[in-house]
Amino acid sequence: MKQFQKWLLPVLFIVLLLGAWEVLARTHIINGALFPQPSKIAAEIQSVHTRELPERSLLLKHIEATTYRLVIASSIGILAGIVAGLVMGISPAIYRFFNPLMTALMPIPGIALAPLFIVWIGFGNPTIISLGGLAAFFPIAYNVTAGVRSVDPQLVRAATISGSTRLGIAFQVYLPWAMGYLLTGVKLGLARCWRTIIAVEFIAATNYGLGYMIWDAASYLRSGIVFGGIAILIVFYFVLEKGVLNLLEAQTIRRWGMVK
Amino acid sequence: MTKDKIKQDLINLFPFVVVGILWEVIVQLGLSGIKTLPAPSDIFRSAWSLIWGSNVLFHHLLSSLYRITVGYLLAVTLGIAVGVLLSLNKTLHMIFSPVISLLISVPTLAWVPVLLVIMGLGDRTVIMTIFLGGFFAIAYNTMSGIEMVNQNQIHAAEIVGVKGLRLVFSVLIPGSLVSIIAGLRLGIGYSWRALVGGEMLAAMIQWGVGKMIYQARFFNDTAVMFVGLILIGISSTIIDQLLLRRLERWTIEKWGVVAEN
Repeated sequence: MKQFQKWLLPVLFIVLLLGAWEVLARTHIINGALFPQPSKIAAEIQSVHTRELPERSLLLKHIEATTYRLVIASSIGILAGIVAGLVMGISPAIYRFFNPLMTALMPIPGIALAPLFIVWIGFGNPTIISLGGLAAFFPIAYNVTAGVRSVDPQLVRAATISGSTRLGIAFQVYLPWAMGYLLTGVKLGLARCWRTIIAVEFIAATNYGLGYMIWDAASYLRSGIVFGGIAILIVFYFVLEKGVLNLLEAQTIRRWGMVK
Repeated sequence: MTKDKIKQDLINLFPFVVVGILWEVIVQLGLSGIKTLPAPSDIFRSAWSLIWGSNVLFHHLLSSLYRITVGYLLAVTLGIAVGVLLSLNKTLHMIFSPVISLLISVPTLAWVPVLLVIMGLGDRTVIMTIFLGGFFAIAYNTMSGIEMVNQNQIHAAEIVGVKGLRLVFSVLIPGSLVSIIAGLRLGIGYSWRALVGGEMLAAMIQWGVGKMIYQARFFNDTAVMFVGLILIGISSTIIDQLLLRRLERWTIEKWGVVAEN
């Protein structure tokens, strides 16, 4: 009930805003070509959906392409990030060597690397997925490193004495301890991965993807699809954040018996 | 600068030197397998000619700095103002804070196509993207910072007759500075990304570091791209370390505010 009340006013406001927009655009008080009314936005998105029916829905194809890239890129980024974080966290020498390099590379935006990757590995999925993976990798590696470095040395000693192998210690002592950090990293990493993939799709995608759809529409000045595309991005990220991340958090907290 | 500090800097520099030498050797021996991977010496030569030969590097850099200054300052001013306003008025807060948290999730660069349609392919679009990138992060952090200011402090100030703008400037903003500065640092990161991406995507722009990287693609000139990337890395580090970190330290000393952790 409280949740409902919290959302009532903003939803009401958004509905009012959309209503006012609709009226103003229809009466030509604001330019309908630049700010198409919500009904027109919906119709244009609908047209993307139906254009190539019944064989397939173009809209779903775009969403599918972006989802596919996001899943592959973030999986690679998460795995590589965990491994790199464990190695850097456990070995002080490796940490001293790679930490300055990572600090220097981390702030470089993914899209700035896009032209380079296009030259090296070509347009489309190779470039988009690599840059998405890279974007996810840094925050995860960084956070896992911090988590592993905060492990109580007594625990490691105890595990060594009881005969654990190094690999065993890495996955049974360090990683569970760093779980909270890992989750923070995954959250940040997924957000960065998502942003990077959409941005790189603007310049490197060749036929499908939400970013491609929006960019293509913008170059033909089809503002309805552009606005509709942004709305889809918002919904997509909302589902990703509320669905996937919260589920992940609940699962790991139960699995590792962590208390938030 | 103490001796330890210099030693630490040297230790931090060491990996770059090692990687640079390895990189140079691998490329010179032809072991990299990528024909278009420039050696550090190529990158250096390219930077040299961009600086002294054709003189374009400063022009690119200055255009970028101009855009980020205008866009980011706008974001700081309006972001803090909106943040304060939303934290003071309950109704406004209830209406707009969910709207902001929805819009904050839009990838900054996704505003570019929207702005391209509305405002055209020029400078305004890029500056507006930079503004939007910084604005949401700063407004959001200001708002949540002020909400966490101790209510007793506000009551105490009100009792002694401090209200209105004076309350904002002498109680609310100082009390939430840690959060505001966190927002400023987050915001500059978003603004940088918006700058580089915006310059690449806005077709009518000719100057800017992002444009330099983007144009190099037409000549497959990867050395110029690396110069651009290094320039982006250095400038963003300088802005963060020299300006914002310093601001953070200064406020902590002046106001006695201690950052968490």
